[in-house]
Amino acid sequence: MAVVTVDKLCKRYAGGATPAVSDVSFTVADREFMVLLGPSGCGKSTVLRMIAGLEPITSGTVSIDGRVVNQVPAKLRDIAMVFQSYALYPHMTVYENLAFGLRRRNVDQAEVARRVHLAAKKLGLAELLKRKPHALSGGQRQRVALGRAIVRDPKVFLFDEPLSNLDAALRVTTRNELIKQQHEIGTTSIYVTHDQVEAMTMGHCICIMNQGKVVQMGRPLEVYRNPADTFVAKFLGNPPMNLLQGRVEAEDGRVVARFAGSAVALPKRTASALGRHVGRDVIVGIRPEDLYETAPAGSAAEIARLPARVVAVEPLGAETLLLVALDVSNDELIARIGRETALKSGRCLDIALDTAAIHLFDPATTKAIV
Amino acid sequence: MATQPRFGTEQLRRVPLVLFVLLYTVITGGPFLWVATMSLRTTAEIFKAPYGFPSPVHWEKFVDAWTKSNYGTYFWNSTFVVVTAVALVTVIGAMAAHCLARYSFRGNRLVRFLILSGLILPPQLLILALFQILLDINLYNTLPGLILVYVATHIAMTVYILEGFFAQIPQDLFDAARMDGYSDFEIFWRVTMPIGAPAIFTTVTLNFIILWNEFLFAVVLLTDDEKRTLPLGIMHFTGSHQLDVGMVATGLMIAILPIIVIYAFFSETMIKGMTAGAVR
Repeated sequence: MAVVTVDKLCKRYAGGATPAVSDVSFTVADREFMVLLGPSGCGKSTVLRMIAGLEPITSGTVSIDGRVVNQVPAKLRDIAMVFQSYALYPHMTVYENLAFGLRRRNVDQAEVARRVHLAAKKLGLAELLKRKPHALSGGQRQRVALGRAIVRDPKVFLFDEPLSNLDAALRVTTRNELIKQQHEIGTTSIYVTHDQVEAMTMGHCICIMNQGKVVQMGRPLEVYRNPADTFVAKFLGNPPMNLLQGRVEAEDGRVVARFAGSAVALPKRTASALGRHVGRDVIVGIRPEDLYETAPAGSAAEIARLPARVVAVEPLGAETLLLVALDVSNDELIARIGRETALKSGRCLDIALDTAAIHLFDPATTKAIV
Repeated sequence: MATQPRFGTEQLRRVPLVLFVLLYTVITGGPFLWVATMSLRTTAEIFKAPYGFPSPVHWEKFVDAWTKSNYGTYFWNSTFVVVTAVALVTVIGAMAAHCLARYSFRGNRLVRFLILSGLILPPQLLILALFQILLDINLYNTLPGLILVYVATHIAMTVYILEGFFAQIPQDLFDAARMDGYSDFEIFWRVTMPIGAPAIFTTVTLNFIILWNEFLFAVVLLTDDEKRTLPLGIMHFTGSHQLDVGMVATGLMIAILPIIVIYAFFSETMIKGMTAGAVR
């Protein structure tokens, strides 16, 4: 069990104009499952490799249980890693793959066999121990990769996009399997992914990175509900948050957000938090699920209505995605509505909006205002 | 029924290819078969009818070639030189290829360039310098001297083939082994070598065939009869027996036998190694 602390971590490659990782700091508590989330090339895998000891650190520190490990070689950090490609040794059987790390650590044969069989049983690999990796399915290979990490009983698990090579159905089951295993074993884990569903469902805590920097950290739902800037707002959520140019103004004693030719009165709680931004331009953010075909009956929410025309209807089965163009500005919004809609492309409607769910961002800094 | 004419065109399209393969087989296999028949006939029979079939078949010529000349010595000299040289060139070449494929170090590209430039140098260009160097270091007219020359001249091709293959082994495997606690040398030995086995078999087979038949370096760098390798031994027949064509043919067949055995065993692995894509 261990606490992993990353402090002001930087990585600059020779000849690179900008640092690949810049000033990244976070702490992963004992037994915590932290997800590093971000688009491809944002530096999340580099951070993971620096923690693993596979990548030299340009500046900053990585500590495990308070001890700085920058100069400690990978093999002495007591960390196990599951790779995106699984990295199974093709010339070894499943048993040998699982035992490979233990043998190097001079664990005696009987103990190696005991641990390998225990892990194999836990992961449903007991029947496959004599097979070679090429004779396994994608899901089985993934489990062997996980088993190889588990048998070592390390202080920390690192996962580098371990599910991205699996097909969609298998990804869901393996994701649940991983959550179950981590819950049972309880080892401190850091998990890198670009898949927001994995981040939302697996992590106790998510750390969103962009262009080598940490943009926001927090509990998954906290981050989803209160994105720190427009990048997080767009990145987290599928379909992403709708962002529109607008302005907040004081009008007849109320504060209104003007966007797309409409003036939407903001709830008092939002208005009071706006402060110096009243009278200035803002970016208005609306999550697709906060837009309705008809206002929910009996809801206490303050509802605004925006005249619009349906551009496209995408029935997904469980729900329907509606692409609408607002009448005045022609801005397009995506709404997530019920599956039983009768709307057709070209129809006009007043799309309903829960005003309490409006997010406002500063256009200059892209940071959230409220 | 609709596929019938297409079938015909397909077969027609193959005719030139089949003709080419047939022609190639006749050109390369014909002389070999001719030597094979001559190896079972006496020189007098050959001069009487050069293209005749062996009748009677003189199997005893193989025993004579082995026992009445120094063939046994030549054979073991060849075996010692070639097996040692191939073993050394494989281990050294694999290590160099692993480093070039896996590590980025200062001068990486220069080292690769220098090693691979060995590919373009014809052996005739090196022979005088090698002769002088071996004299200077007292290895002229010794089997270790010849082994050293063989290793040096075949490193380039070995590195060239192996590096291409090793570079395709995913980096994750090496990272995983590092996380598992293995040192760089252990990773080379336990990961690169077993995974690279098809490519290694390729270089072993190729080097074995080339070195087993090597003549130029051997004829210049060895002078004593008891140190000669097989290709020189065959030449020896032509001198002392006044062009005993029948015995030369028998000698050639004995010399080529190990090559045929090796090729028969490893040809499939060798082709796999040369054409293999990524290791998945």
